[in-house]
Amino acid sequence: MTTPATGFFTDTSVCIGCKACEVACKQWNQLPADGDFFSGRSYDNTIHLEATTWRHVAFIERQARLSGQATSRPFSWLLMSDVCKHCERAGCLEACPTGAIVRTEFDTVYVQPDVCNGCGYCVVCCPFGVINRREDDGRAWKCTLCYDRQKAGMEPACAKACPTDSITFGKLDDLKEMARARLQELHRRGVTEAWLYGMSERDQPGTEGLHAFFLLLDRPEAYNLPPDPSVPTKGVGGSWGVMALAAAGMAAAAVVAAHSRGGERK
Amino acid sequence: MSPTLALQTGEGAAQRVKHAEPDAGGIVPLWREVPSQPRPAQDYYRLALLKEPVWIWSVPAYFYVGGVAGGGAVLAAALHGKTRLRRLAAWCRLLAFLGTTVGPALLTYDLGKMSRFLNMLRVLRPSSPMSLGSWSLAGTGMLATLSLLQGDRSGAVTRYGTALGGLMVAGYTGVLLGNTANPLWRERRLLLPLLFTSSAAASTAGVLQLMPLDKREEKVVQRFGMVGKAGEAACMVAMQRSEGTVPEVAAAARGGKGGVLWTAAKAALVTGILVELLPVRSPVKRKVSGALTTIGANCLRFALLESGKSAAREPQATFNLQRTRMKG
Ligand code: SF4
Ligand code: SF4
Repeated sequence: MTTPATGFFTDTSVCIGCKACEVACKQWNQLPADGDFFSGRSYDNTIHLEATTWRHVAFIERQARLSGQATSRPFSWLLMSDVCKHCERAGCLEACPTGAIVRTEFDTVYVQPDVCNGCGYCVVCCPFGVINRREDDGRAWKCTLCYDRQKAGMEPACAKACPTDSITFGKLDDLKEMARARLQELHRRGVTEAWLYGMSERDQPGTEGLHAFFLLLDRPEAYNLPPDPSVPTKGVGGSWGVMALAAAGMAAAAVVAAHSRGGERK
Repeated sequence: MSPTLALQTGEGAAQRVKHAEPDAGGIVPLWREVPSQPRPAQDYYRLALLKEPVWIWSVPAYFYVGGVAGGGAVLAAALHGKTRLRRLAAWCRLLAFLGTTVGPALLTYDLGKMSRFLNMLRVLRPSSPMSLGSWSLAGTGMLATLSLLQGDRSGAVTRYGTALGGLMVAGYTGVLLGNTANPLWRERRLLLPLLFTSSAAASTAGVLQLMPLDKREEKVVQRFGMVGKAGEAACMVAMQRSEGTVPEVAAAARGGKGGVLWTAAKAALVTGILVELLPVRSPVKRKVSGALTTIGANCLRFALLESGKSAAREPQATFNLQRTRMKG
């Protein structure tokens, strides 16, 4: 495909937690509101990505200072706008039995709503817990990386709405360059805990890199991200091998049982 | 949104919303500590990292029915041409047919709409055990129907085709569960196919034991079943042992509904084996053993689904497994 791969670089160090991305996503994709709910988890009442929620801002009130920061008590905010990672090796895509999940010309992972039959296999195969089945008709929904907007040459709604450019949309190669520069800049300023999550295959061999990657300021666990996610298909060969052995065993058992001595002796 | 201001017309707009509140069946547990206090464990408010499997009861029920069909298909092929075991072979063909007919119906019930099962046969995706499984299920269903209609006269192609398909139907569900991001299932990916296949043999024998059998038939069924049950027991022991490495995974497997079902499956299996070993021969004994095997096999499949749900809810299960893997 001649269209270059596109994606998101989410720089959590500048996120202010305004949730504009969540709202913009809901508005553009016409997703229903999740209702009034007070979770008690800091300012995060969205809780997680869902079939109705394709951007989710995580709020962490951390009892530790960020390097180079001066606060009266040890404290820092960690904020992160989470989204479908559009993995290079996507668990959902490789698991989908209907072919509903495809890779678009922008190298993003897209669920075709008219093909999905709601088998729910992608839900258990996403190592990030992103995609889920709709409550009403059971089809799977997730971030499309604004496939419709991209088709019209526009950037996705969340990136457009983000006032601090914490979410940057662009060509994947440009984003990587930008992320590296930003990381260097932060390290230069003494924020040594900054690091890039899932940018390339080297960072995350299990998924061979994400098309929506992040600059984080703490361990992935703090943001509810898996430290070493891996596409389930990697290593499933062993399961098939064991299954073949088991099948041979069952066939042998059947033959032996059928030929049992008492059985055929006249 | 007020309809006087705007209308939502997109395809995603009409969705019913899943609520996060615990009393609405949501995933957010009640909060008992002050959120801004330092948390010793590194996690995000202990909220789930992964999504729970969304499958309803009909999916584990299908795992069982598919297993019975698979075992039946294999045994039918092995019994072919044995005149004294003709009736048993016919039973087996019937099981293969019924299982591969009821199976897709159960799966379709989970999908919600009849026509949706057909989407499974839209593409063949070798990377997806569910795709390969659906094709084998559909193919085996057709062959099993043919075998049933032709009975003793079925040709070698139909016979062995059904048997091969049956082997696939019996075992692929284990690969399917192993090929997920769920920490509990994923860690058992090498044991699950073995467990499902051996349990399929046991399940088929269990159902056959409930039917009227003569002495010869009984022997065949008993042998086939014993191999299955021994395999099943060995796999269950191996699974319990392998959980020891990550306490959160063990807790997900042992606790809650899944744990109770697992214990029930174990108890039914062990009692079934003990009954089978009693040195008496009676139809009552046979039927009790068959019933115990059937109960055990069903409990086992529901246990796997339920503890998979608990494991998905526990973020530390995933974190710890991955951290251990990274170190190792
Ligand atoms: S994050 Fe999950 S849903 Fe998104 S592409 Fe990767 S596997 Fe699929
Ligand atoms: S719009 Fe930007 S700054 Fe605001 S919450 Fe989203 S990512 Fe953060």
